[in-house]
Amino acid sequence: MNDDLSRSEIVMDQWPSVVYPADRRAKLLRFGSLFVVLALWELVGRQNAVFLSYPTAVAQAAWEVLVLDDRLRSAFAETLTGYAVGFVAATVLGIAVGFLMGQFKTFDIALSPYVNALYATPRIAIIPILVLWVGIGFGLRVTIVILSAIFPIIITVRDGAKSVAAEYLDVARSFVATKWQTWRTAILPGSLPYVFAALRIGAQRSLIGIIVAETLAAVTGTGRMIQDYGQFFQTDRLLVPILAIGFFSILMTSALHLLQRKVTPWERR
Amino acid sequence: MTKRFRRLDHPVLRDVSLTVPAGGFTTLIGPSGCGKTTLLRIVGGLETASSGTIRVDGVPSVGPARNKTMVFQHFNLFPWRTALDNVVYGLEIQGVAEKERRERATDYLKLVGLEGFEGHYPFELSGGMQQRVGIARALIVEPRLLLMDEPFGALDALTREYLQTELQRICSQTGVAVLFVTHSIDEAIYLSDHVLVMGTSPGRIVREFPIGLPRPRWTYNVRADPIFAETRAELWGELERELTLGSPGSQAMTE
Repeated sequence: MNDDLSRSEIVMDQWPSVVYPADRRAKLLRFGSLFVVLALWELVGRQNAVFLSYPTAVAQAAWEVLVLDDRLRSAFAETLTGYAVGFVAATVLGIAVGFLMGQFKTFDIALSPYVNALYATPRIAIIPILVLWVGIGFGLRVTIVILSAIFPIIITVRDGAKSVAAEYLDVARSFVATKWQTWRTAILPGSLPYVFAALRIGAQRSLIGIIVAETLAAVTGTGRMIQDYGQFFQTDRLLVPILAIGFFSILMTSALHLLQRKVTPWERR
Repeated sequence: MTKRFRRLDHPVLRDVSLTVPAGGFTTLIGPSGCGKTTLLRIVGGLETASSGTIRVDGVPSVGPARNKTMVFQHFNLFPWRTALDNVVYGLEIQGVAEKERRERATDYLKLVGLEGFEGHYPFELSGGMQQRVGIARALIVEPRLLLMDEPFGALDALTREYLQTELQRICSQTGVAVLFVTHSIDEAIYLSDHVLVMGTSPGRIVREFPIGLPRPRWTYNVRADPIFAETRAELWGELERELTLGSPGSQAMTE
């Protein structure tokens, strides 16, 4: 503890004094508010455990369903596998189709109506027919993730490719770059910020999609566990997967942000 | 060598004809909207003329080409490339081997006075330094004609004056011919062999001023030379007339 304090003092000397206190205040505020919320929840939740539950009970429930028992753990694994496979497929396909539509009018005109219509169709509406086609297991997870993620990815990447500043294209043209060279040296790097925005939207949407599908149709998986715990009024257990999903979503977003910083170091943020 | 641009006919330009002598420095000056940037972009092949021809070294030149390259007002550097990788661009597109193009880019960065900044990204460079990178990028393919569209327009006055001197040095070292667009009378006189005054609606060349000031001009105080003051007054008179004849907005300004 003492070591930490002295270290933070050294850091304070090195950083511009305007930045550091603001940064520290933000951190303090974030942890402070978390602490207050948890404390209030504990106090109020103890009054009505079935309705609200409370942090210590949730922590204990987490220990029970994740460590002592492996049902929720294997449900997480199932969900994650479907999510990962689907998201990778949606990323690869979505980026490719998005760039094709951004580059070639033919593709754009031919595919736009379908992409826009499917983008606007609520995912939940197509789950019954998907169950009919691919069943209720791994196939459903992958399909729903792809369908949830791919359309926002296509649309965002297409818009990004189309909006690459004319000034970059002027440079490519004035040096007589071929179409392929122009794409590789100007359009692709110029639209990378859009690609990352697309992936963030895709990651969020497919997470919603897979949980909804599992809750509605699957006999296993995280969504199914949420339903089970809910039906038996095991509020403390119910909150474990819910919090885990929220945590996972934050993790995904931060990972994508980190990756973006690595890939596009020229972007000042 | 002659570069002849004959009878261009564009909605904003009519019957424009001009020649930039080999190794010469010709400047287009005129009120906003007279089409000087459009003319430059047509010469560079980034826009097409409705009629007329552009010749470089007597050979008709349609579309962009490596013997005529552009320097842009807002630099147009790729923010995802370092200074060196921006300069290398033209050679990369031509398929020059990696080692050779890096060596040449290093030389050109040295030519524009940016030795040691090879690995810097554009956002780490000042505006003046970014435009030096832009100049090096345009020169590396060894063009016969350099097309400069208000290259110093986005820079502060001090940097601007400094780069004007630098540009003269670079031109005399490389022997490249320049077609330059500017809003600044002083800049036009200081840099050019010929200044072409353009008028609006339709854009056309109104008058040509040869600038007889001896070179190199950075060795003496050009602005104190009586020829400078005379040319400046004459040029301003011509421009003022064009401004008054021009758009209603500029009329209101001069009235």
